[in-house]
Amino acid sequence: MAKLLEVRNLRTTFLTSAGVVRAVDGVSWDVEEGETVALVGESGCGKSVSALSIMRLVAEPAGRIEAGEVIYKGRDLLKLSEEQMRGIRGREIAMIFQEPMTSLNPVLSIGRQLTEGLEIHMKMKPPQARARAVELLGMVGIPDPERRLSQYPHHFSGGMRQRMMIAMALACNPSLILADEPTTALDVTIQAQILELMRDLARRLGVAMLIITHNLGVVARYADRVNVMYAGRIIERASAAELYANPRHPYTLGLLRSVPRLDEPRRARLAPIEGQPPDLTRLPPGCAFAPRCTYRVARCVEVPPLERIGSEVHLSACWESEALP
Amino acid sequence: MSEALLRVERLVKHFTVGAGFFGRVTGVVRAVDDVSFEVRRGETVGLVGESGCGKTTTGRCILQLERPTSGRIVFEGVDLAALDEQALRAVRRKVQVIFQDPYSSLNPRMTLGQILAEPLKVHRIVPDKAKRAARVQELLAQVGLLPQHARRYPHQLSGGQRQRVGIARALAMEPALIICDEPVSALDVSIQAQIINLLEDLQKRLGLTYLFIAHDLSVVRHISDRVIVMYLGKVAEVADRKALYEDPVHPYTRALLSAVPIPDPSLEARRERTVLRGEVPSPLTPPSGCVFHPRCPIAVERCAAQVPELREIRPSHLGACHLA
Repeated sequence: MAKLLEVRNLRTTFLTSAGVVRAVDGVSWDVEEGETVALVGESGCGKSVSALSIMRLVAEPAGRIEAGEVIYKGRDLLKLSEEQMRGIRGREIAMIFQEPMTSLNPVLSIGRQLTEGLEIHMKMKPPQARARAVELLGMVGIPDPERRLSQYPHHFSGGMRQRMMIAMALACNPSLILADEPTTALDVTIQAQILELMRDLARRLGVAMLIITHNLGVVARYADRVNVMYAGRIIERASAAELYANPRHPYTLGLLRSVPRLDEPRRARLAPIEGQPPDLTRLPPGCAFAPRCTYRVARCVEVPPLERIGSEVHLSACWESEALP
Repeated sequence: MSEALLRVERLVKHFTVGAGFFGRVTGVVRAVDDVSFEVRRGETVGLVGESGCGKTTTGRCILQLERPTSGRIVFEGVDLAALDEQALRAVRRKVQVIFQDPYSSLNPRMTLGQILAEPLKVHRIVPDKAKRAARVQELLAQVGLLPQHARRYPHQLSGGQRQRVGIARALAMEPALIICDEPVSALDVSIQAQIINLLEDLQKRLGLTYLFIAHDLSVVRHISDRVIVMYLGKVAEVADRKALYEDPVHPYTRALLSAVPIPDPSLEARRERTVLRGEVPSPLTPPSGCVFHPRCPIAVERCAAQVPELREIRPSHLGACHLA
C-alpha cells in the first residue's frame, strides 16, 4: 500500500503562563491509503494537537508548529500557502470533531452547510449541490433527507448531528478523514451505530481514517494500526492485533490492565496506573512515564528512550521493553 | 440479607416545559416514571442507562434536590416528604453526593483545607477549630492526598486529585449513603481505576452504602452488587450483578452489553453485535406500551399496546418485558 500521509518529526509547542509546552514533541507516523490508524492516549498527550497540526489549525500565536514535515500525497502541507491549504482542508482531508454542536453553524440550515463546501470546492451549481446533499444525508442514514435540508442543527439529536458531520466530511470525496473522539459525547448504543457507519462508509468509499480516541475498546474494533501517545510522544506503535496481544510499553500494558472488561471474569481489584498524569511544563529529563512506571530502572530516569524495538512493525519507546511480561 | 437503607417507591418526577405566556404549559417531560427499588445497607447498587433515562433525576430526588411529583423516598424507615426543614437537614448529612465534574463543584477561591472544614463547622460536626484541622488532615489522608494539599486551591490539582477532594468532602459529613453520579466518567482511563479502588476501600473501611450512577457498563459491573437498568424514565431490569451480566432478561440490557467495545481485536472480529436502530425517543412524547418497543429487535404487536410490568422473571431478577 502506498503512503497517503507521512508525518515526520512533527513538533508543536504552546506558549503558556507556565512556560513553553511541547504538546507534540518530535512525532512520526503515517497512514496508508484506505487504512484506519488510531492515535490513542489520555488528555493532554498531544493526540488532538497532532490532528490540528496536520490541518494547520493550531491557534496562533500561542501555538506554533516548530518543526517537522507533513507529507500528503508527496507534498509537505507545512510548506503550502494559506490559499493552497484551503484547497486541502475539507477537499482532500476532512475532519470530524467530538462535539458536533459546536462545529456546526447554528444559524445556517443543514442544507446550506452541506452545499457550501460542494459549491466552493467542487464548483457545483446550486441544484447539483442540493442533489448531492440529499444523497449524502441518505448515505449516513438520516431519514427523509429532502425535508431535513431545511432544518437547523438544533433540530437534530446528538447522534443525527454526528451523522451530519460525517456527511459533511464525505461531501468532497476526501482521501483522508481525521476523526477526533468522534463518539465520545454519544451514548453507548448511538456510539455503536456511528462507528459501524463510519467503518462501512470508509471501506465502501476507500477513505483512509485517523481515529483519535482514549477508548481502547473502540480502537480494538476499528483500527488497523495503533499509535499510543504519552506526554507528546508516540511510545508504542503496532498493528492492532499485535499491540493488544503483546504490548511492549509499560504504559500500554498499564492502560490495558486498568480497565474492567466485560469479557473477563470480574476481578476483585482493579490495577490502576499509579501517580498523576505528567505536567507538560515540567517533564523529567528521562522517560516521561518513568515516575509512574513499575518497570523503571536507573537509566529510565536519566536518558529518554528512543523508539527502539527493532522492526518497523512494532515500535516501543522503552528501555525495558524486552523485560516486560 | 441486611435491611433496606433506602427505599424508592413508585417515584415519579415530571418536569413541565415551554411555559409561554402566563405560564402556559406546553409539555411534560416524564423524566422518572414509576421507579421503585431499594438499596440495602453496605451494598453498592449500580444505576445504568443512557442520557435522558432518568438516572440522575432519580439521584436528585433521593438527595431532595428535586421534589418528586409523586411516590416516596424512604430513608432509614422515614419518608423524607414527611420531614420538616430541621429533620431534613439531619438526613441531608447522612446522604451525600459525589459529582461527575469535581472542578465545577469546588469553590475556586477556597483552599482544600477550607473546603473540607466548612461543612464540619456549618453542621457542627467538629465545632472546635483545632480539632477541625486535625479532621481535615485525616480526611485528606483517607482519600490518598498529602497534608500539604490542605493549602492548595482546586486549580492546582489534577482531575483525579479533585475527585479525591469531592470524595473527602462527602466523607466529612460521615454519611451512611453516598450517591455517586458518574464519579469517574470525566477522568482519564489510568486514573479511573485509582478512584474506583479508593471508593471500594472506603466502603470496606467505613461501612458505606453506594448508589453508583453511571453509563459505563464495565465499570458498573466491577463495582456493583446489584444493578438497575433504566430506559426513558422506567426501570427495564433489576438483578444481582452476576445474573444481570451473564443472563440478562431485557432486550435493552442485551443491546447495551453488546454495544460495549471490548479491548481485544481478535475477539471483536468474531463478535456478533446487536446495533440498535433509531435513537432514544424524547421523554416529552414517550412511545405507547413498552417505551423500548420502537427500537426493540424482538418487539411484537402487544409491546406497542400494553405497558409491561416490572415483574420477577427469576428469583430476585426483575424485568419489564412481555417476552422475558
